Amino acid sequence: MASTIIDIEKEVERWREFVNSVNGPEPSTNHIPRKAIWKKNKATLWHYAAVEKKYDIPVFMIYSLFNKPTILDFAPGSSVIEGLVNMGYDVYLLDWGIAGDEDKDINIEDYIAVYIKKAVQRALRHSGAEEVSVIGYCLGGTFAAMYAAIAEEPIRNLIVATVPIDFSVAALPDQWEEGLKDGEFNLDRIIDVFGVIPPSYVEAMFRSVTSPIYNSPYVTLLTRANDKRFVEKWRRMNTWTKGHVPLTGGAFRQLTIDLFKENKLVKGEFTIHGQKVDLANIKANLLVVSSKNDNLIPEGQSKPLMDLVSSKDKTYLSVDAGHVSLAMTGKLNGILEKWLGSHSK
Amino acid sequence: MADQHTFDPYKTWQTYMLQWEKQTNEMIQSWTNNREAVKIASISSDIQARFLEMLQKNQQEAANLLNLPTKKDITNSAKLTIQTEEKLDALEELIWNLQDSIEASKNENSSIAKITSEMLKQMKQLKTEQKKESETVREIFSGLQEIKRELAVMNSLNEEIVSLKLLMAESTQKHERELVLTK
Repeated sequence: MASTIIDIEKEVERWREFVNSVNGPEPSTNHIPRKAIWKKNKATLWHYAAVEKKYDIPVFMIYSLFNKPTILDFAPGSSVIEGLVNMGYDVYLLDWGIAGDEDKDINIEDYIAVYIKKAVQRALRHSGAEEVSVIGYCLGGTFAAMYAAIAEEPIRNLIVATVPIDFSVAALPDQWEEGLKDGEFNLDRIIDVFGVIPPSYVEAMFRSVTSPIYNSPYVTLLTRANDKRFVEKWRRMNTWTKGHVPLTGGAFRQLTIDLFKENKLVKGEFTIHGQKVDLANIKANLLVVSSKNDNLIPEGQSKPLMDLVSSKDKTYLSVDAGHVSLAMTGKLNGILEKWLGSHSK
Repeated sequence: MADQHTFDPYKTWQTYMLQWEKQTNEMIQSWTNNREAVKIASISSDIQARFLEMLQKNQQEAANLLNLPTKKDITNSAKLTIQTEEKLDALEELIWNLQDSIEASKNENSSIAKITSEMLKQMKQLKTEQKKESETVREIFSGLQEIKRELAVMNSLNEEIVSLKLLMAESTQKHERELVLTK
């Protein structure tokens, strides 16, 4: 019996799925029921109620400024927030929203002193709890650490994942790093012109650091376009990856000058509205999680936090994962279930 | 029979493409990892910034001439909304503080009321005890009065006995004198 080399039907289906996935509507996000309990400017404080409350200490989550926090509720079954509410925690997520031109002067100091601090106070009041566990992911982890160093609110646990703390360890090519540090490549003027850095620039910035040519996701999609589950996951991931948000000029300037160029946080020179951020003030139980295959935040950027804090109970974990897959694959949930469970009683 | 794998040209293509992407990215990074590339990036960013500045300035002037609101005007009005929101937030926090202090004084008041009712209770008890004691005192007083009366009776009896004694002594003396006279 003669057999055809190409299965025409399968190929038509493959290309149809490919075109639909690339051009189709965005998949649904935010699967867990939630309620907005506070709004400030573009930011929203979301409350995800525990399925069956087992712990009195709620979890307060801070995500990065570069992307949407939907990665923390990626898909049913692979969502960090879903895992936490199923474990019995009340979860509060501070969603930064999408900055507009009127927000161009908001800097890191404002994000911490005016947004995070107030949001934690609101979460404490809403939950009626006496303490809180703060979780920060990526740049959200840097903010969480900065906040914990100046916080008057009672923080029982501080958890930071894939967090940049020591900016002397760069993921950039060395000459670019040098150019940025010695002022050869000055971003001040472009920041002033834009006011708020457009998402396309934010994406280009990350692409230039990680992979300037980025075809592999599309190649993989076409190769596996007949696998429905993979296509669904790919669509979600693609939506999130492309969903960069505008970055305020004030925050970008502080990020490049105070943190990247002058490494003020590690040196203890960073200030928030005049108050010195001394990481040695952190006494909360600390968990630092790094990803071994993270090409954006190398482990060397996170590990120094362990020596800078005064916490008596501190744990460092290096996980076999990437920058994003740590949250997506449920590995972070596994870690939180064990560590946070034993530190929330 | 040995396992037979169908040849998948996409898999081969994928392996090739991933390898190509990795090598090309490494090549781009090694090409651009020098001071010249940094200088070019800096100059092009500067040119772009100048061009955008010029564009923004012209747009602003044209909008002014046409009496049209610009992005800057919208931004300014949005800033006012944000300021109002901040004031509302501050007010809400003040109300919370007020609520908290009312709650605290409510708690204080209820504790004062509790103490007062306790005091009243004790006073009532004291009153009852006092009543009981005053009855006892009254009883003692009436007993004393009786004793006093009895004492008065006894005193008058005593006086009578004394006067009787005197009478007896007088009659004895009289009798003795009469005896002497008769002798």
